[in-house]
Amino acid sequence: METIIEMKDMIKVFPPNVVALDSVSTDFRKGEIHAIVGENGAGKSTLMKVLYGLEPKNGGEILFHGQSVNFKDAGEAIAAGIGMVHQEILLIQEYTIWENIILGIEPVGFLGRINRVQARKNVQAKIDEFKFNLNLDDKIEDISVAARQKVEILKLLYRNVEVLILDEPTAVLTPQEIPQLFSELQRLRDNGKTILFISHHLDEVLALSDRITVMRKGKKIATVEARDTNKEDLAKMMVGRDVLFLSKREAKQPGAVVFAIKALTYIDGNKRKRLDDVNLQVKAGEIVGIAGVEGNGQFELVNSIMGLTRPTSGQILVNGKELIAADILERRKFVSFVSQDRSKMGAAVKASITENVMMTHHRLNKQFTHWNGALLDYRYSRQFTRKIEEQFGVSMGSMDNPFKSLSGGNQQKVILGRELLLDTPFLLLDQPTRGLDVGSIEYVHEIILKMRMQDRAILLISADLEELFRISDHIVVLNRGKIVADLATEKTNLEQVGYLMLEGKDKEDAKEIR
Amino acid sequence: MRKKFVSGVLGIVVALGLGAVIMLIEGFNPITTYSALFSYSLGGFYPLTTTLRNSVPLILTGLSASIAFASGPVNLGQPGQLLIGALFATVGGLYIHLPAPLMIPLLIILAMIGGALWSGIAALMRRFFSMDEFITTLMLNMIADFFTYWAISYPFFDKTAYSPMTPQIDKAGWLPEFGNFNTNILVMVLVFVAVWFIFTRFTAGYEWRLTGQNSIFARLGGCKIDKNYVTVMLLTGALAGLAGGLVVMAGPHRFLKGLGANYAWDGVMIAMVANNDLIGTLLYGLFFSSLQTGAVGMELITAVPSEFIQVLQSVIVLVIVAGRGMLDIVLDKTQIKRKARERTA
Repeated sequence: METIIEMKDMIKVFPPNVVALDSVSTDFRKGEIHAIVGENGAGKSTLMKVLYGLEPKNGGEILFHGQSVNFKDAGEAIAAGIGMVHQEILLIQEYTIWENIILGIEPVGFLGRINRVQARKNVQAKIDEFKFNLNLDDKIEDISVAARQKVEILKLLYRNVEVLILDEPTAVLTPQEIPQLFSELQRLRDNGKTILFISHHLDEVLALSDRITVMRKGKKIATVEARDTNKEDLAKMMVGRDVLFLSKREAKQPGAVVFAIKALTYIDGNKRKRLDDVNLQVKAGEIVGIAGVEGNGQFELVNSIMGLTRPTSGQILVNGKELIAADILERRKFVSFVSQDRSKMGAAVKASITENVMMTHHRLNKQFTHWNGALLDYRYSRQFTRKIEEQFGVSMGSMDNPFKSLSGGNQQKVILGRELLLDTPFLLLDQPTRGLDVGSIEYVHEIILKMRMQDRAILLISADLEELFRISDHIVVLNRGKIVADLATEKTNLEQVGYLMLEGKDKEDAKEIR
Repeated sequence: MRKKFVSGVLGIVVALGLGAVIMLIEGFNPITTYSALFSYSLGGFYPLTTTLRNSVPLILTGLSASIAFASGPVNLGQPGQLLIGALFATVGGLYIHLPAPLMIPLLIILAMIGGALWSGIAALMRRFFSMDEFITTLMLNMIADFFTYWAISYPFFDKTAYSPMTPQIDKAGWLPEFGNFNTNILVMVLVFVAVWFIFTRFTAGYEWRLTGQNSIFARLGGCKIDKNYVTVMLLTGALAGLAGGLVVMAGPHRFLKGLGANYAWDGVMIAMVANNDLIGTLLYGLFFSSLQTGAVGMELITAVPSEFIQVLQSVIVLVIVAGRGMLDIVLDKTQIKRKARERTA
């Protein structure tokens, strides 16, 4: 088959020291579905953005139909015949499908008046050509996410692109919608389009693609034929070593109840019930994992525990002490908190590492201050930072450098160090491994398990089911603000929890109702 | 720190160069102009002490703005707070009669209370009506402007004067002068050191700074950000008020029309140039004062109008603020190039 795009020695550096693309060379053929797989931060999105002109390249060459190209922006790329569908959908909600599709290249008549008849005819022709099941007069706000994605694709096809780039297209879809998308993509391929497909779901990738490029840490590891490979090999290439999908928890009898939530309900300003009679308890030496699709009440639960929002009713207890009305500082005496967003909630990225480490300790730990809390002891703070550096294996330059000079994994180690050394009985961990590389994830898991052995009570919220299965003792499923299941990890499986997350009820139940 | 210093000095040199180009276009000799400018602001005891004295309101209002901006609140009310502070000190000086060692601290405290009261109004409006201090402090500037104008035209008007002004305050409230060296600079230095310590070494200052950088992080960390907000507003108001009080006590010893001049806005400008860094505010305050002080001499000797200094100041602000971003971009670019070269090699 003919090569349509060739990328040679692509280099992209994000200052100060992230090499996102490290001499990546690869090629894409006409009429293939080519998947690009890799972990978070492997460089797959960056590679596509450089190709598409969203990020300027710092080195290397791109050949399109054998011609050297260098797109300055998405418009140039589309004009040349390369289009990209982003994860977040960028359509105008109040416009109809055909209006969204012609936006920017409207067929105009006298005095710039839009020729509606012509426009609708053109759009309908495209819908028919590619057999998309869309009604061109529907408004975007009234159609499903899957349909919106189709509109995005159609928008590019209407501009006659030959190459379609899709950035994790299945992330926003329900499991039932995925096969339909795949069959449409296959039809597009059979019509001669080239499809580049970013994903980290290996099953999908194997089912759909013709060839697969694996990336790790900014480097291309290999490009393989899909039919010649399997999931284990791909995983090994992505991660760089054999992946153990095994729990490392040691058997342990949990102690007394440390953390309890009773009948917690939160109704937001729009009268929507975000948390619906949530009851939960965590014992000493126990990890309780909360599973759920994002936006099913996790955010409100965390904010209620931390004191950022005031729940409508219910109780939050640590060691029997009622915290529902306590101020944040009072709560922090009992709760250590690792947030899912390091730069928004977990740290002040421009402040020094030491200053980030001091937070909360400066109020709760007497050794950090003199004169009855008024004067800070910077010398002690530095010693303390040194302690975290050694105890948690942080690699840092000077501790006076800004926090953002640390890599993601090291940032998370510093935050974990700060929070765990608060020595609270209860730990709230909100996606503590989000955006980390595999080595750091394993390290964070080890620390969490160590805290379990030290009899801390741990509540772990995660979007990563494998993580939950690996380290938690119990898995609680949150769906539409309600706890729909509380399962011992050993007595359940990924499939059951996945189904509960999406449907809010067990598969067997569903059958009975039908 | 060194990077900041280098970019500051570079910026000033480039700006002076640009100023020279403007002068050449206008047909003036830049060398004689600059030498006149700096000999009248730095060359000798009299010029130097004048520069120091003039720097006090610039530095104090700059300090007020730096601390506010670095801690989160956008307090732009320095002009109003300065005027109210000056009025408080003046009124105290008119009606209270004490020996100097008591009188001077008393008037200083009154000035600070006046400024804090004015910023406190804005803080209260934010607390209870969620009104943005960015707007309210600006509006309060207008009110302070006309309120003090009314106060010196009617209730505290000096009957012997031909334009709006108050009588002179009690001599015990005059700041002592040694030759041309005014002790207002000593007051400023004391306050600066105290504030610097609070801001960089005290728990309170730590919380303010971290709140200014990321308030949600500070809040989750247990900082009482609402209380801190009010404290910062009161403190920065007090600093601006003190600037006003010292202007009265060091200079005309009375409140006369136009007393606030442009001090406070220049102070805000200095805070921006210094990127809210306290030491930077002090240094830029001294430098801008030397420009403004030398402008008079420059006008005397050369044909360059003293308004030229405003052009020069603006050029400096633009060059330094733009240069700061520029330096980062250049550093990033060189880093990218180096990394990219390493990869291809």
